[in-house]
Amino acid sequence: MTINRRALMAALACLASAPAFAHGPTRQKLELSVEVNATPDKIWAVIGNFHDLSWVPAVAKVEGPGGNDPDTAKRTVTLKSGGAWHDEELSDYDAQKFTYGTFLPHVDVKILPVADFSSHISVSAEPGGKSLVQWRSAFYRGYPNNNPPPDLNEEAAKKAVTAICQPALDALKARFEAGH
Amino acid sequence: MIRPAMLAVALAAGPPCLAQAAEAFVTDQDGDSVTVIDLATRKTVATIPVDGKPAGIAMTRDGARAFVTSPSAQIVSVIDTAARRVTGHFAAPGGPLGIAVHPSGNPLYVADWYSNQVEVIDSVTGRMIAHVTVGQSPSGLAVTADGKFLVVADRLSNAVSLVDTSTLKELARVPVGAHPFGLALNPAGDRAYTADVESNTVSVVDLGARRPAGTVKVGKRPYVVALDGGRGFVTNELASTVTVFDLATLAKVATVPVGDYPEGMEASPDGNFIYVANWDTNTLSVIDARTLAVIATLDAGSSPRAFGTFLR
Repeated sequence: MTINRRALMAALACLASAPAFAHGPTRQKLELSVEVNATPDKIWAVIGNFHDLSWVPAVAKVEGPGGNDPDTAKRTVTLKSGGAWHDEELSDYDAQKFTYGTFLPHVDVKILPVADFSSHISVSAEPGGKSLVQWRSAFYRGYPNNNPPPDLNEEAAKKAVTAICQPALDALKARFEAGH
Repeated sequence: MIRPAMLAVALAAGPPCLAQAAEAFVTDQDGDSVTVIDLATRKTVATIPVDGKPAGIAMTRDGARAFVTSPSAQIVSVIDTAARRVTGHFAAPGGPLGIAVHPSGNPLYVADWYSNQVEVIDSVTGRMIAHVTVGQSPSGLAVTADGKFLVVADRLSNAVSLVDTSTLKELARVPVGAHPFGLALNPAGDRAYTADVESNTVSVVDLGARRPAGTVKVGKRPYVVALDGGRGFVTNELASTVTVFDLATLAKVATVPVGDYPEGMEASPDGNFIYVANWDTNTLSVIDARTLAVIATLDAGSSPRAFGTFLR
């Protein structure tokens, strides 16, 4: 692989001036879902609070102001592995439609190797009193410039987000279907 | 029905033969393709393979050629729109995303958003003609209808650069909101409008006086601006809406729900419809410019972006 020297210099200049604001060229999309044998209202009672991630196994605690009001709500999320991210915003919230959205402007890539992370959680009714729980995320890789190292490329970003979201969906299913 | 104000815009914006947009060329970043949608039948009529995660697009005024940026591959692909195929690739350094083509069809202006440069590229040979130095992380750009000025949104400098296309020198830099990304010009070429991603605003710039001329509060994470007659439209990524505002008063007119992560947007030359690419939902929303209702939602490939001019 050849490296364009001028582009590299430009990238380094950009990195030096404003590292927190740049991101990679292609936003990634991750869509995870699980079918749960429970009605949407019952599932929403467990997952429908912006400041309660007790249903997400990777999360130790959540703190922050604003309740479920998108204009004021923010949260700090501390992981069981020890790291935390701050000032995650509630971008939209609709209890009638069983959906809310989040946006995390900045995160230390050592905690989560992504940039500009946003997600939507939603519950929709399925036939037979079941529900489909969807967790859709959008984010850039952790490395802002060209030629990312392997631990900060697109695959690493997807893997890290999946590692948080998928066990949460699995645990949600198990919670409602235990004993069935 | 065409109202007089719309007709004036249609005449100013393009040659009379383009009375109605016939096709949309939508860049599908995850699909490595451009989806061609017939706007009369509202069906996909072709899928053109384009390498390198295509994102930005510039259509020539006559609609014969489209130029597509692929930031991951650092190339510009040339599309023969009638033949529906890629006829060549041009090298473009850094992170080529925003792109515009001179009204004459040549040259191309390609923003390298990893630097403070806009590359000027011959649209026929692909030869790099010059670099224009602007603010940091140039993103959206557009050329005035008379071809005299290039206007650039400098994302990390929170500014708009006004560039003389004959000397390729920056004439002025005007402050706008935080992290301007998409940029639109009015047909007269004396007003620029930026979507300020981090301040949730649209900034208005008076290009004649070279100073700020107003701010509109819009939805969360505004991304792209389009103009249609007396109204401005902006896609709000995190709100999944389009905010409509009055260009004279800058008052908010409506908020239109569209798909999730709306990005690229353009008004048809006849002014009757606004087309919105929804990145997350993989659709193209069709907004009736008169009623401001979404009248159709079309399939649009995988992760459509359509950042630039994509109608012909």
